[in-house]
Amino acid sequence: MDRPLGAYSLSIAYMQDFDVVVIGSGPGGYVSAIRSAQLGFKVAIVEKYAVMGGTCLNVGCIPSKALLDSSEHYYNAVHSFEEHGIDIAKPKVNMGQMIKRKAGVVSNLNAGISYLMKKNKITTFHGLGSFDSAKTVKVTKEDGSSEVISAKNIIIATGSKPTILPFIPVDKERIITSTEALKMKEVPKHLIVIGAGVIGAELGSVYARLGSKVSFIEFADSMIPTMDKTMGKELQKSIAKMGADFYLSHKVTSAAVKGKEVTVKAQDSAGKEVEIKGDYCLVCIGRRPYTDGLNLAAAGLTADERGRVAVDEHTLQTSVPGIYAIGDVVRGAMLAHKAEEEGTFVAEVIAGQKPHINYNLIPGVVYTWPEVASVGKTEQELKAAGIAYKEGSFPFKALGRAIASGDVDGVCKVLADATTDEILGVHIIGARAADMIAEAVVAMEYRASAEDVARMSHAHPTYTEAMKEACLAATAKRSIHS
Amino acid sequence: MAIEMKVPAVGESITEVTVATWNKKEGDHVKLDEVLCELESDKATFELPAEAEGVLHIVAKEGDVLPIGAIICTIEAGGATASVKVADAAPAAAVAAPVAAPAPAPAPVAAPAAGPTSVLEVKVPAVGESITEVTVSVWNKKTGDSVSLDEVLCELESDKATFELPAESAGVLEIVAESGTVVPIGGILARITVGGSVAAAAPAPAAAPSAPAAPASTGDATYAAGHPSPAAAKILDEKGISAASVAGSGVGGRITKEDAVSAVKPASAPAPAASAPVAAASSERTRREKMSSLRKTVARRLVAVKNETAMLTTFNEVDMKPVMDLRGKYKDKFKEKHGVGLGFMSFFTKAVCVALKEYPSVNAKIDGDEIVFHDYCDISIAVSAPKGLVVPVIRSAENLSLAGIESEVVRLAGKARENKLSLEEMSGGTFTITNGGVFGSMLSTPIINAPQVAILGMHNIVERPVVVDGQIVIRPIMYLALSYDHRIIDGRESVSFLVRLKQLLEDPARLLLDI
Repeated sequence: MDRPLGAYSLSIAYMQDFDVVVIGSGPGGYVSAIRSAQLGFKVAIVEKYAVMGGTCLNVGCIPSKALLDSSEHYYNAVHSFEEHGIDIAKPKVNMGQMIKRKAGVVSNLNAGISYLMKKNKITTFHGLGSFDSAKTVKVTKEDGSSEVISAKNIIIATGSKPTILPFIPVDKERIITSTEALKMKEVPKHLIVIGAGVIGAELGSVYARLGSKVSFIEFADSMIPTMDKTMGKELQKSIAKMGADFYLSHKVTSAAVKGKEVTVKAQDSAGKEVEIKGDYCLVCIGRRPYTDGLNLAAAGLTADERGRVAVDEHTLQTSVPGIYAIGDVVRGAMLAHKAEEEGTFVAEVIAGQKPHINYNLIPGVVYTWPEVASVGKTEQELKAAGIAYKEGSFPFKALGRAIASGDVDGVCKVLADATTDEILGVHIIGARAADMIAEAVVAMEYRASAEDVARMSHAHPTYTEAMKEACLAATAKRSIHS
Repeated sequence: MAIEMKVPAVGESITEVTVATWNKKEGDHVKLDEVLCELESDKATFELPAEAEGVLHIVAKEGDVLPIGAIICTIEAGGATASVKVADAAPAAAVAAPVAAPAPAPAPVAAPAAGPTSVLEVKVPAVGESITEVTVSVWNKKTGDSVSLDEVLCELESDKATFELPAESAGVLEIVAESGTVVPIGGILARITVGGSVAAAAPAPAAAPSAPAAPASTGDATYAAGHPSPAAAKILDEKGISAASVAGSGVGGRITKEDAVSAVKPASAPAPAASAPVAAASSERTRREKMSSLRKTVARRLVAVKNETAMLTTFNEVDMKPVMDLRGKYKDKFKEKHGVGLGFMSFFTKAVCVALKEYPSVNAKIDGDEIVFHDYCDISIAVSAPKGLVVPVIRSAENLSLAGIESEVVRLAGKARENKLSLEEMSGGTFTITNGGVFGSMLSTPIINAPQVAILGMHNIVERPVVVDGQIVIRPIMYLALSYDHRIIDGRESVSFLVRLKQLLEDPARLLLDI
């Protein structure tokens, strides 16, 4: 005999059912949830922390930019005001206020995301999301209680966490990660930064500006080694002006804390050992995909050897139908805006649309001062691929706007195809580079040639004139102002 | 010398024909005016007579779809040998290599500089007497492309039809009138540089003289041609259209969002495998057949009418007893005198003509911002022919007697069944009558026969209980349907038209007395 229908309906009545459940509310997750809602889906988002926004908003992009700007103001007050004709009493860093302001910026945006969830009628669950099955997600709340929700589609957007080297004892007091570096109680006297990649460069430069002596130890032979070599070289020049030391091509062998002193030992490429002593050590050697506690196995999924969730290139679907993954937890650059694109992409894929992401044209940005931004191929990549290219550069020191502001460090470099003149890569270091790179992305999405951009009017005086001039240089070495 | 037989221009809106049957075989000796084959267009079937006496060489096989002007066959006059003809029929490549090299080497590439060049102007052909200008809708080729003889260069659009323009010669194309340009008849669309070097004609400013040995000039027009913008790429993917099949209107041939939005999936090429209706796999429970060009046109037009008009249908019923009584009484005498049977069609046609005179908007058509009223009634009659639905026209039906109408119906229906209707006999109707009743239809909503604005649907006659003078009586009843274009016909006219028909048919004496 059949079971009475009521038995089914009763059990289902207790389980909330959604079209899309997003695990993680970082820039990938919340964008994905909003786009899904826009497409008419019934959407839920699960967030482990009490606040929305993930790494980017809480312990990444946003707070670091808040501190970068605060430190920049301080640095200008100390070093530039006098030249600008502003005489003030010697400024002092109030670390407590600086951190408080940063916290205000973050909570402002936290509230913004919560508002967006409400506005789009997205149900928010606070608790650790884990797979219960391929179609259900268990949300374990802080008080230990749990709830299971079901979904036709599940999007993994759990992001990443800082990588920790096994032989470096991170105590989060003296040997710290980027998370702690964003809530320091004092300005370090000597900050040792292990890893001079994007995060190390950004946070290292914050404290260099606040007056810390900063020593960068980097395994590769330049700062921000994945970017075009010119960028790393120029950035190092800029940061060196603040009195930073660089130990490039150095391999860290140990780190130890003794009281308030941290000792880091490293070897150069010849095997010669150096010992650096400081009061804080910031470890920024990268980030790892974060799937801890997600219970991938219950959904029939496994992470690869680097902790990533494997996805199909064309749909971002995992090996289990109906489960997708986006952002830092999948292959590709760990960038908030890449995660956002993927968030939109997956929502549209679920809706049966055929969106596109041009991964080659996702810009990379480093929020140091001067900023670094790039898109497309680096000179090294073009050489390796055997593509004949032309290079056109324009220095900020020849730019009216930069001279007027006193931000003359920097260069805009355009790489174009030797025959077609198509722009293949743009690399900018200088004031406002992060904003300027958008022009390069638009141009390259439309496969513009260097001359196309060179023939477009750029307002004067602006930093973006550097782009026009570099394109003129790339076209036929005919920049006007150099 | 061989004579090339091409597809003749058979009507202004006809752009291609299908080779239906060959009456002659390859190598047959044919006489002047002997019928070689039958060609089928979406409107009619016609025969192709030989333009000369000689030996036939078939170029297009049965089932091939050919544009107007394409070569169907060649006739070798004077009985020369086969080998000569093969050379004649060889593709245009030979033209480019006038050097008398017998070997079929890739001559045009190898020795381009030597050949004499001439520039041929591609002009807008005269496509119909009322057409004075055309719009270039799409270029299939780019400036600098090598084109071969009869390759379709572009699509031209007039207010009446779209047609393709084949290359009159092989050579290198230089576009003069870009897509979207309006060009008068005789205006220059492009130039074809015949013979000579490909590189010299290409617009590339650099390296022209240095080394024509470089690879073909396909890519250097602009490297970004055909590159879709981010939004365009998504739209094209969702439509399942490859970017390669879309002509970009953006800078340098880039595909803009608008291009993608308006892109239409190209008609898929005929299945490469045998197109014979033999089922591909006997285990499958479906069967595929290619749509005939008549079917395709009918399909396209019907959908167009549904999309482009404000069509709706009004109904009424007619007591057929009076007409049936009259017919029963006189049908033998009628047949005797006129040699044609007295059917219902003549009554309906006659009544329609009277009603159309009283409600001229039903007998009109829309032309741009104007309404064209017809002071005559050319009544199209929908006839089911073996190859599908055709609508021959009874000319000036308002001037014909019932017998005249009946004999026209018989004549046209007979020709329709034999597929012998001419284009002329099927064009220019002002109103259509369709009779679904012959198949047993009780009620239907016919689709207007554009550019007409109304169509009358007749149905089967069924004995039904009706109330006459307070009594339930049994009467032969036919439901009538009038589908009409509400853009120019309002409910008052359409309903009154149908009521008037009912009045005339239920009291046929009114037809005689014109009241």
